[in-house]
Amino acid sequence: MFRIALKSIVGRKARLVLTSLAVILGTAFLSGTSVFSATLDRTFNNLFEDVFKNIDGYVRSTQVVEGDFGLIERQRIPADYVDKVLSVPGVSDAVPDIQAFARIVGKDGKPIGTEGAGPPTFGSVAVEFKGALWTIAEGKFPKGPTEVALDEASAEKAGYVLGDKVKVVAQSGSRTFTLVGIASYGDVRSPGGATFALFDVPTAAEFLGKPGFVDAILVVGDGSRSDDALAKDIDAIFEPSQKVETLTGAEITKETQDDIGQALSFFSIFLTIFSVIALGVGSFVIYNVFSISAAQRQKENALLRALGANRAQITRSMLIESIVVGLFGSLLGFVGGIGISKLLSVALPALGFDLPSGGLVISASILINTVIVGLVVTVLSAVLPARRAGKVPPLAAMRATAIETAGPGRVRLFWGLGSMLVGLGIIGAVIGGSSNNLLGFGVLFVFIGTIVIGPSIARPVALFLGRPAETLRGVTGQMARQNAARNPKRTSRTSAPVLIGVALVTAVSALAASINGQIADIFTEQFKGDYAVNSNAQGFGGLSPDLATTLSSIDGVNDASGIGTVLTKINDKGRTLIVITPSSIGGNYDIGLVNADYSVLDKDGILISESLAERDNLKIGSVIPVTFGDGVTRDLTVRALYVHNDLAGDRVISRETFANTTVSSFDFSIYVTLEKGADNEKVRAELQKAVDEYGQGKLLSRDEYIDEQAGQVNQLLGLIYGLLALSVIIAIVGIIITLLLSVFERQREIGLLRAVGMTRSQVRTTVRWESVITSLLGAVVGILLGLGLGWVIVFALRDQGLTSFQIPVGSTVFIMVMSFVVGVLAAVYPAWRATKVDMLDALNTN
Amino acid sequence: MTSPTLTVAASAKNATKKYGKDEGVVYALNNVSVDFYSGQFTAIMGPSGSGKSTLMHCIAGLDELTEGTAVIDNVELSTLSDKNLTQLRREKIGFIFQSFNLVPTLTAEENIRLPLMLGNNKGDEEWIQRVISTVHLNDRLTHRPSELSGGQQQRVAVARALASKPRIILADEPTGNLDSTTGSEILKFMRMAVDELGQTIVMVTHDPVAAAYADRIVFLADGKIAGEMLEPTAEKVLDRMKSLGN
Repeated sequence: MFRIALKSIVGRKARLVLTSLAVILGTAFLSGTSVFSATLDRTFNNLFEDVFKNIDGYVRSTQVVEGDFGLIERQRIPADYVDKVLSVPGVSDAVPDIQAFARIVGKDGKPIGTEGAGPPTFGSVAVEFKGALWTIAEGKFPKGPTEVALDEASAEKAGYVLGDKVKVVAQSGSRTFTLVGIASYGDVRSPGGATFALFDVPTAAEFLGKPGFVDAILVVGDGSRSDDALAKDIDAIFEPSQKVETLTGAEITKETQDDIGQALSFFSIFLTIFSVIALGVGSFVIYNVFSISAAQRQKENALLRALGANRAQITRSMLIESIVVGLFGSLLGFVGGIGISKLLSVALPALGFDLPSGGLVISASILINTVIVGLVVTVLSAVLPARRAGKVPPLAAMRATAIETAGPGRVRLFWGLGSMLVGLGIIGAVIGGSSNNLLGFGVLFVFIGTIVIGPSIARPVALFLGRPAETLRGVTGQMARQNAARNPKRTSRTSAPVLIGVALVTAVSALAASINGQIADIFTEQFKGDYAVNSNAQGFGGLSPDLATTLSSIDGVNDASGIGTVLTKINDKGRTLIVITPSSIGGNYDIGLVNADYSVLDKDGILISESLAERDNLKIGSVIPVTFGDGVTRDLTVRALYVHNDLAGDRVISRETFANTTVSSFDFSIYVTLEKGADNEKVRAELQKAVDEYGQGKLLSRDEYIDEQAGQVNQLLGLIYGLLALSVIIAIVGIIITLLLSVFERQREIGLLRAVGMTRSQVRTTVRWESVITSLLGAVVGILLGLGLGWVIVFALRDQGLTSFQIPVGSTVFIMVMSFVVGVLAAVYPAWRATKVDMLDALNTN
Repeated sequence: MTSPTLTVAASAKNATKKYGKDEGVVYALNNVSVDFYSGQFTAIMGPSGSGKSTLMHCIAGLDELTEGTAVIDNVELSTLSDKNLTQLRREKIGFIFQSFNLVPTLTAEENIRLPLMLGNNKGDEEWIQRVISTVHLNDRLTHRPSELSGGQQQRVAVARALASKPRIILADEPTGNLDSTTGSEILKFMRMAVDELGQTIVMVTHDPVAAAYADRIVFLADGKIAGEMLEPTAEKVLDRMKSLGN
């Protein structure tokens, strides 16, 4: 039987390739992602090994506050610790390091780099010494308060050359420096696409952070003792109360590598999720192809049965075929994956994400993983068709081939409807008050039910969708419509990948539309200003708090009040607090204070949301200890409660609380109200001038601001669409394969049609419309399902403040148009093949 | 042999079809010249491999000659593009094949009108109705091929071949898959189409009984014309075939 199976595969090379295509695509993305992640990991490891190669010790504070998304703020240490470290025997050199938010402003007055969404923008120190992290490629190291060096990539991007005046924005405001050096970091022109403005130590401390304080001390030993001994000696000179630790060169290298590794792992987990979705979609295609191939081989299998093969042997021979397909496909997929990762490593630098050099990391474990995953998915997808093939009665060999024409049975309808009802029941229960956790199961059951029922509804729906084709195209359209409906099982299986992709895209769009609408509502309600200066910094950096002061002094401005964030630790948990200026925020921002106004918030006070008060059993007068980035814990007393926590979060404090400390805090927005009767246009021009002078931030009117806030979701949407595109490609491949197999199966019919007068272009039309109808079938059902799913997700998020579901009209129309295009594109090759059918061959096979 | 009152509907001149090269060359047709006349029912006979199907396919424009010419209605087929050739098949030729004559997704009536519909042509409605009633299909028009018997399916095929009033009908073993009763019924219809509807039919067959329905028989052997017979009977044909078969 094994030999028969192999012979059957070799005899149908074309089908082997077709079947493998789905496996290849699915596994290629998976292995491409793995190879790329491994490569990134290694190249960054090498980079930091290189950069830290001359560092023997690293002195820093032990005090850290951690916020969301892996943001951390480590307390700074006094600059005079450097001299203490220098006095330790065995230390040959010690230089402070400072790294903080700074943005380089380009020649056009616009800051370089994408805020929030792009790689971070830093200001740091470049000092000439043996352990220097930065080396100067051109010019010299910056010295004094007026000189700056830029990383190579940023300088090139902005078109700056030595001697140019460069404006840089940081926490303390914006300032103009003279460019004296172009620097590189290890062997890269800018690490990971981040931008760097580099200064000498006093300038960096004063401009980027806090005068007299530094982030860490880089230590170079004289070689008289081991790194471990040196670190111990340095640690010994500090009191425990000074909260300082010394890492060896190896430790800081390892830690930096791990940090970046963790940051990158988010990236690869994200990619992996989408390659798993793609594989799932691919498994449908594999299942479909094996089903069709089992049906087309019914006669052959029946003959084998008549000659004495038993059921198990037939089933086994198909499983063997699936193993070969799985192996072949995943091996090719692995090769394709290398191509994909190569492509990524070429494409990313082109998008401004400069990667360290280094070859791809292709490990045996990636190969083995890819093959195992590909094999398992393929064989599992082939189990059902293989069992069905085994059930062929020997008599079928004598009968004319009945190719999958049998309509879907009642059993199928029963189970499908049953599953849908169970799913809907669960969703109903959740809406009725059960736990949200059950929603996933509800959705899953509805999905399974829809897929199971697919064949039962495929025929009527395909006939319905095909109606315009018939009206438009006459007999060719009619034949396309009938062809799409003639094998409901096949049509429904072919459209299933489209259905899944479309359902996901629709659900995401619906969610985004709802969030958009919600954000617009929230801002309309709570933002009371006439203008906003906005930075999209999400947690890291932002606008200098000084900018608000500058703006408020403009004629015609009533109030300009900055709203920022600060990282803190409460009960050992990282918390991001909203920072406001109580004296000026009043008319700008309504958080729904209960029986109070902002004037109750003093430097020892805190405002909390009603929901937090309820959750933690707090009330006015309760005391909350909050640890700030300077390591100091301040006891803050609850002064008032407020209602709206969608923007303000659960805790709001005054800027006064940490004024004149090393705690760093930026404003993400400045809200501006004008005086009554002020000349709107004139004030706007003045505001714009001040913002331009500062160099960063976007001045927006009330409406523009609300639109922009609501539109932010769309960025994320773009990324998700991009990744789901892969599933769409696999769905297209699925349609192509099915059409090819159908064309092959209908060779005689096509030959006959050609003989009695169908032109090649009419043949193409028929195939094309069949494809379009199949694609639309998936799209229509997918959209319905996706809208349902979107509604369910929005409902599940009601506690997060999402209250209104909105149908994404634009996206839905776009998806319909796209699925039409997909149908047309998928048909190109099969339609061409159909025109190549040899009429004589077709007519002679009696 | 040629009567001055007959017009030529289709013809082959020095038709040669060969496969392979040099020593391995095989002639399916070897310098065949033959005319088929309007209003006649002609049968092409010969043993397996004699080239009779190839001749028909080349005349129908389904296959290309290596040398020589095939002409239908004064048009030389080799001069036509695929599109024009398709159009010619649609408008000037009717086909009846041995089996798998019908498109399974279309009803009997749609199958009958198929060539007309493909050409966006309404056709002669009176004629179509006459054809349908001649082959007794009025009560089967809305059925799909899978719901029709073998004989009914061939009747639909005959009706389709007639529907567009073609210049010539080409039939390739039209009764090959039918039992003798049903087969003779189909042959009677074809006879009727020539006698009463004035059609031209060329039929390839190896069945002497079927060939006996024809006005004229052209015999082929080894890719060459091996003679002709007018007003044949089954016995005469059988005798001639015996001499050709070896």
